[in-house]
Amino acid sequence: MTLRSGDLVKALAADAAPVRRLASPMVRLGFWLAVSATYAATIVAAMGLRADLSARLTETRFVAELGATFMTSVLAAVAAFCAGCPGRPVWERFAPLPALALWLASLGEGCWQSFLQAGAQGLRIRPDFLCFPSILLVSTVPGALILLMIRRAAPIAPATTKALAALAAAALGATALRLFHAQDASAMILVWQFGSVALLAGLGALTGRKLLPWPEPGVAVQPTGTSPTDPRFGEGGHPCT
Amino acid sequence: MQAAQDGDKAAWRCSPTSCRCSGAFVQRTWHSPQDVEDIIQDVLLSVHAVRHTYDPRRPFVPWLLTIARRRIADAARRSSSRAAHETTIDVMPETFLADQTKNEQEGSDDQTAIRRALVGLTGGQREAVELLKLQGLSLNEASAITGKSVAALKINVHRGLKALRRKMTTKAG
Repeated sequence: MTLRSGDLVKALAADAAPVRRLASPMVRLGFWLAVSATYAATIVAAMGLRADLSARLTETRFVAELGATFMTSVLAAVAAFCAGCPGRPVWERFAPLPALALWLASLGEGCWQSFLQAGAQGLRIRPDFLCFPSILLVSTVPGALILLMIRRAAPIAPATTKALAALAAAALGATALRLFHAQDASAMILVWQFGSVALLAGLGALTGRKLLPWPEPGVAVQPTGTSPTDPRFGEGGHPCT
Repeated sequence: MQAAQDGDKAAWRCSPTSCRCSGAFVQRTWHSPQDVEDIIQDVLLSVHAVRHTYDPRRPFVPWLLTIARRRIADAARRSSSRAAHETTIDVMPETFLADQTKNEQEGSDDQTAIRRALVGLTGGQREAVELLKLQGLSLNEASAITGKSVAALKINVHRGLKALRRKMTTKAG
C-alpha cells in the first residue's frame, strides 16, 4: 500500500512544529564576515604585517587588487547565502563575477607590465610553498562556518552553493595573505594565489552534492496495511511511503 | 506558509493548494505518470523540511516551484542512474539454450529410459522404487501394501536407486 499525498499532508500537519526563519542573506553575511574577518585578522597579526604594506597601499593597482579579492569573498558569500533560498533570482549567484573579473584584470595588467619591463623573465613562475598552505589556514574557519550556515538553507543548487562558499573562504584567505606575504609578482600571484582559490572553489563544487543533502523530514507516518519498502530511500524504506 | 512556520497546524490544511500547484507542475514536467505521485510527495516532504527558508516578504509560488523543479531534477537523476544499472527482461528463461546443457536435463527426465532401467531391477527393488519414489507413498504405507518390513523396504529402495543410477549413467556414457 502506498501513502497518498493527502495522508502525507495530514502527517506533516501533525508534525508542524514552529520553526525559526532563516535570516536574510545580508544578516547572515554580516555574521559570517564579523567572525571570519576577526579570525583572518588574528592570523595576519600572528604572522606579522609585511614591512612594505604602507608603501604598497599608496599604489592604485595593489589597492584595486586587494579590494577586488576582498569583494570577491564578500560577494561570493552573499551569493552562497542567496543560493540557499528557493525562489530568489538566479542572477544573484553570479554576483562575485565582476569582482573576480576585476581581480583577474588587475593581475593580467600586472603580468603585462612585468612582461614589458623584463620580457619573458618577468613572467617566470617559481615554486612558492607559502601561498597554498597560508590560504588554506586562513580559510579553514571561514570555510567551516559558511558550510554550517549554508547547510541550514535549502540545497536547491548544492554544487554552485558550495563552490561559492569555498570561493568566499578562499578569497578571504588570499586577501589576508596579501597583507603578510611580500609576493608582488603578478604571474606568481596568478598561479599560486588565484590558482589556490580556484582549486578550492572547484573542490567545493565537486563536494557540494555530498555536503549539502536534503534534510531528513523527520516525520513518522504509518499507513494502514503492509509496510512497503522503497528502494529510493535505502534499507527499510521511507517512513512515508 | 507563514502561519505554518509559526507552528499553526491548521495552516497545513491549506496544503492541498500547494499539492495541486506542485502536482500540476510535476505532471506537466515529468514524462512518466506512475512516478508523479512519488515526486509530489518528495516535494511535500522537502517543503516541510525547508519551510524555515521561506521569506514571507517574497512570493510563495516561485519558492514552491523552485523546490519542485529541484526535486524533479533529483528524480530524473535517480531514474537515469537506475536505468543505467538495471536490465528489463520479460520472462526468465527456464533452462539454458545450449544443446549440451539441455541433454543432461532431458536425459534425467527421459521416462522411457527410466522404465527400461526399472525392468532390469529385481522384483523387490522395482516394487520398492515404484511405491516409494514414483507413487510417493510413505514407508509405512508401502509396508502395509507389500507386507514387508520398513527396514527391508529401505534396503530395497537404496539398492534399487543405486542400480538405476548405474544403469542410467552407463547408458548416458
